[in-house]
Amino acid sequence: MSNELQPIIELRDISKSYGSVKALIDVSFKAYAGEVIGLVGDNGAGKSSLIKVISGVHAQDSGHLFVDGIERHWKSPHDSMEAGIETLYQDSGLAPDLTIGANIFLGRERRRRGLLGRLGFLDQRGMEREALTELEKVGISVPASKRTVSQLSGGQRQAVAIGRAVMWAKHVIILDEPTNHLGARQSQEVLKVIAAAREQGLCVLFISHTLPHVLEVSDRIIVLRLGRVVRDSPTAEYTVESLLGTITGLSEVTNN
Amino acid sequence: MSTSIDTLESVGPSALKRLQSIVGNQQFILLLVLVALVIFFGERNSLFFTSSEFSNLLIDFSGLALIAVAETYVIISGGIDLSVGSTQAISGVGGGFAMQSLMNHHMSETGVLLIGAVICAGIGLVVGAVNAVLITKANLVPFVATLVTLSAGAGMALVFSRGAPIGQNPEAVAWSATGIGPFTWLVIIVISITTILGITLHVSKYGRNNFAIGSNSFAARAAGINVKRHIASVYMLSGILAGLTGMFFYIRSGAGSPQVGASSNLVAIAAVVIGGASLTGGVGRITGTLLGAGILTIVTDGLIFINVQPTWNQVVVAAFIALAAVLQSIRPGLRS
Repeated sequence: MSNELQPIIELRDISKSYGSVKALIDVSFKAYAGEVIGLVGDNGAGKSSLIKVISGVHAQDSGHLFVDGIERHWKSPHDSMEAGIETLYQDSGLAPDLTIGANIFLGRERRRRGLLGRLGFLDQRGMEREALTELEKVGISVPASKRTVSQLSGGQRQAVAIGRAVMWAKHVIILDEPTNHLGARQSQEVLKVIAAAREQGLCVLFISHTLPHVLEVSDRIIVLRLGRVVRDSPTAEYTVESLLGTITGLSEVTNN
Repeated sequence: MSTSIDTLESVGPSALKRLQSIVGNQQFILLLVLVALVIFFGERNSLFFTSSEFSNLLIDFSGLALIAVAETYVIISGGIDLSVGSTQAISGVGGGFAMQSLMNHHMSETGVLLIGAVICAGIGLVVGAVNAVLITKANLVPFVATLVTLSAGAGMALVFSRGAPIGQNPEAVAWSATGIGPFTWLVIIVISITTILGITLHVSKYGRNNFAIGSNSFAARAAGINVKRHIASVYMLSGILAGLTGMFFYIRSGAGSPQVGASSNLVAIAAVVIGGASLTGGVGRITGTLLGAGILTIVTDGLIFINVQPTWNQVVVAAFIALAAVLQSIRPGLRS
């Protein structure tokens, strides 16, 4: 699948500055359906800026973004969602005071049928029920969906957040540090969900500092440094040491 | 958080869990407090149980209900609106001038009141829009933005009215006493608006967005909700309800007084806090707010009935706010 001609998402010479800080400089890459791409880099390398541009939180200063071969300009995160891109932000993807079901359907609430629905009544029970079954489909089991997210453990929260992204994404899911703060067992569950998303034909952009996780689950790794793409190669061509060297820039020094 | 709940589930029988959920249910406790207050005041003075006092309580409650509902929306969205009191005053004064002019042109009483209500709501909407611009465009925090309109509104009400009530409308006062039994038309209208807005908050997408934004505005924005537009609409709604409350007091007193509502913003916020809403946003219920407003109304009226100086009123209100805050802090599993 990853050899299809049409990339599901393509960036061409994307640049973005915040004031005098150049966060992204001429970033280009292609990603295909059914592919997990690891996006790594040191703090300040531009990972967060990059996903904000792809998901429509910020607009790029210059450069082009193509989804399924069509150039797109996001006005808001809503536009990228409509185009089939789901983004899971670091630590902040859920509303803690809302129930699991309400979070899963946030921004996509469904109304009840009949007169009440026409008056604007939401189908709260139906959404709570469907949230549970949909989460189970991607291998996530959580307690009753009536519980608020603030009552879940960190791992459960992350599972709900990823489950939501997988459930709604048509083309791409972007996961920003999804295994942060998680224990070994919980991290493995997250990696399993990522693999399940690939099986469903989604393209996964996986941002992480935990290099063994990146090496384990991704097909290709893109390394960012100081706002530029410094390497874009199949995962098999990296070792933990060479990856670390590319991230820090030390390997260039030794190569020269 | 979840672990403590899980252990309780596994250790204790369902009775323990039920007890915990009742004690943790602030609304149930508020209802008990409300009933206890009624019994207490009725015990001290049997006149408290008369139907005319019931009618008075309903009217006083209605004067607070709309702005308390407004404040509930605002506080759940993560903000605060300090301007609801002075918006009442400026709407009452502005509406008073307009209705005086209409009466001078011999318009029918019904027409005067209907147009007056629209004008009061309109003035409230303008104040709410100013709040919305200050918060969503100028990026002021809601506390500061609504402090600005609080001062400006109160000042303008005094300047335009020169400190005196505007308009003389005894017919409005006469109409304010009509209705069905103890329920005057004014009370019925307020209860209807309150019911619709209460249901909207808890079953509609608009209400759901309100909770989501107050709980985590970043998540709400990431989910595609237009956060700024929603916040703006909440302050405009609050302004409209404060304006209508200005009309409410115009009808009750037959004039638009610049003094009205001087402290009602704090009473409204107190009702919301007593009702269990979190000032950090994301948590709250309309029923809680209405119970809170009911308790404050009963205390205020009841103290007069048992011959306590009305000046003690604020101290008692403070005690209830403290009680509510303590209840919230012992409630299990609320926030992480």
